[in-house]
Amino acid sequence: MKKFFALLKVSVKSMLLSSTNSRGNSRKKAATGAGAMVLIAFLGLYMSGFYSFMLMEVLAPIHMESLVFIFMGIGALAGGLLFTTFAVKGVVFGGKDNDLLLSMPVGSTMLMASRVSAIYLENLLFSFFVLAPAGAVCAFMTQSGVGHSLLFWARLIIAVFALPLLDTALSVLFGALVAFLSAKVSRGALGQNIVMALYMAAVFWFAFNLNGMIEGLAANAMGVKESLSWAAPMLWMADGILGDWGLLLAFAACCIVPFALVVFGLGKVYRQAVTAFAARSARNDYKLSAQSASGQKKALLAKEAKRFFGTPMYFWNSGIGLIMLLAAGVAALVMQRELRMYLGLLGDALPLMPMAALVMGFCLSMCAIAAPSISLEGKYLWILREAPVGESALIWIKTGFQLLLSVPCTVVAGVCLAVALGLSPAEGGLLLLATVLFDLAHAAFGMLVGLAFPKLDAVNETVVVKQSLAVCLGMFVPMAVLGLCALLYWLGGMLSAWAAPALPLVLLSVMAAACALILVKKGPAMLRAL
Amino acid sequence: MLRIEHYSKTYPGGKKAVDDLTLHVRPGEIYGFIGHNGAGKTTTLRACAGVMDFTEGTITIDGHDVKKDPVGAKRVTAFLPDNPDLYEFMKGIDYLNFIADLYDIPADQRTKDIAKYGDAFELTGNLGSPIGSYSHGMRQKLALISAFIRRPRLLILDEPFVGLDPSASHIMKGYLADLCRGGSAVFFSTHVLEVAEKLCHQIAIIKDGRLVKCGPTEQLVGDSSLEDVFLELEGDK
Repeated sequence: MKKFFALLKVSVKSMLLSSTNSRGNSRKKAATGAGAMVLIAFLGLYMSGFYSFMLMEVLAPIHMESLVFIFMGIGALAGGLLFTTFAVKGVVFGGKDNDLLLSMPVGSTMLMASRVSAIYLENLLFSFFVLAPAGAVCAFMTQSGVGHSLLFWARLIIAVFALPLLDTALSVLFGALVAFLSAKVSRGALGQNIVMALYMAAVFWFAFNLNGMIEGLAANAMGVKESLSWAAPMLWMADGILGDWGLLLAFAACCIVPFALVVFGLGKVYRQAVTAFAARSARNDYKLSAQSASGQKKALLAKEAKRFFGTPMYFWNSGIGLIMLLAAGVAALVMQRELRMYLGLLGDALPLMPMAALVMGFCLSMCAIAAPSISLEGKYLWILREAPVGESALIWIKTGFQLLLSVPCTVVAGVCLAVALGLSPAEGGLLLLATVLFDLAHAAFGMLVGLAFPKLDAVNETVVVKQSLAVCLGMFVPMAVLGLCALLYWLGGMLSAWAAPALPLVLLSVMAAACALILVKKGPAMLRAL
Repeated sequence: MLRIEHYSKTYPGGKKAVDDLTLHVRPGEIYGFIGHNGAGKTTTLRACAGVMDFTEGTITIDGHDVKKDPVGAKRVTAFLPDNPDLYEFMKGIDYLNFIADLYDIPADQRTKDIAKYGDAFELTGNLGSPIGSYSHGMRQKLALISAFIRRPRLLILDEPFVGLDPSASHIMKGYLADLCRGGSAVFFSTHVLEVAEKLCHQIAIIKDGRLVKCGPTEQLVGDSSLEDVFLELEGDK
């Protein structure tokens, strides 16, 4: 066990340090890593708290609190799968230290178990963020008093610890499949992107229909619960949390057994699996034909595009905001009748333009393409450094690549939303101006934090894209700026009609100009110093 | 071709990796740079290639100051690190075209040179595969091809023989000689003293960041072997 904990310590330490930059002492790194995790924790708690509240408001009066835990359990399972399946490919099967650790006198099952345990800890964190707010909401809103006993919390804690075991087992199986496809299929990235696109389509369908489902829940909650029999373990978990110890134990067994089977089953063939997934043999049938030339900038942009679209981890984590933005715009246009009816019920005084700008800004905040782009160069940075290209050109091409993707999506979604919401041409123009300014500020700020907090020694791209400090700052600081814009809009509204939109526009312009200026003045030196 | 004048490099923390190094590589020369591990060879080569920043001294390549005109200097240089990490998400041919685009190499010239060096290093058939599927030696060969197709005035190589099979090493040595006959220069580090002795016109030996000896190979070696000279200077003999 001593060896296992030593290996686990290495994995956990590397996970903690993964969110920090490459420079600074280990205490500073650990502190910034912990800070980034607190930031993510806050967002998780807030989002799951919001949905639990919405569901509980409808279900508590009819004593169907269990459905909240079923939905949250399914959410935690699906979210955990989304977050860790690709991480498994990198952390469990594609670790850079594979050769080193496999050559040591440690059993391959133990090595795999230590790495899978690191994934479990990540899922545990996610499970906690999803189930704990549901428990708190239940304790405050229940009308049957189920959340008021200590035993309720004890059962909830058991569920919080058990659920990630099932999640981890499934993540490892899917992750192994992804690793296998990447190694054996020539267009592995395309296949992975298609799988993720289907997954995201299901998530969007679920999200767009959530309101209707919640309304329908109150009328037929029991029917809905019965229709969820395919997710029996989640039903057991929910009823278990609410008091049925037998079902809770059945749920725990349902999580422990697959986890043990995966760890011990795959652990026995871990060495073979790692070898097979790593061994990609080059084909020997290429026939050289006449090559074509293009310019430096085009080549560098094409390289950024190849990395973005060819790395599913990068594409789906950094591109999700743009996909959400386009989906929201198109959905608003397609369902504009229902949307206007719903908005009509809420009253005519709603500030639709700033609300649309906030929604668009929120989606754009998640589009952290420039922020991880320097860290993603990592061991390849020497190629750009020895190339006859100035540092400022490299910086602007990376910043420009984000804008090349985000500005067209912003314009399309902005026009769709303006039409769907029936905004006047002036309001539509303001919406586009504000969101494009936000695009500019976001891209420049992302590049700046990418240069200031690089993670050039990351074990794999997962660490950079999902956990690096630059990405966290590149997402959450723009979200805070959005909050500031809303505040300025409200304050401006008290002064005059024109001041309301003008103040946020001035803030965004100043932020974009300031970030661009710092990039011009300091960016090349920052890149040179890496 | 390459003029290093009073170059020093101090790492954060105060460790002086290279101290007041002055060295000239003339056109047509193959210049070997030898020293023990941590002597400052890689630090010097990286500074010459413009990959690493430095504060003291000047380095000029073909008249271009590496600090004042880095793009001009890099345009006439090709650098190969000891363990070249190449973009794994690209195919071999994509990487070569990427490099060729960065150096503005015309389409017909790159097609001809890729065919020439690809065939010589027996890599043409593999160019359609992702670099992620390449072995260490294949990556080394691809990096070498990417250097040769630039037709550089100065080729800087860090431990170029590591990972290459004997046949590829032999071919590379031939192309290095060809490059020098065309008026270019080669500046490389190595631990393989026999190769350095046979291949280099000039040799410099560096110890603890300081140049301890340099000059034409025949003069430096004299009647003994480079290994003897090296061990004597290093104080191991």
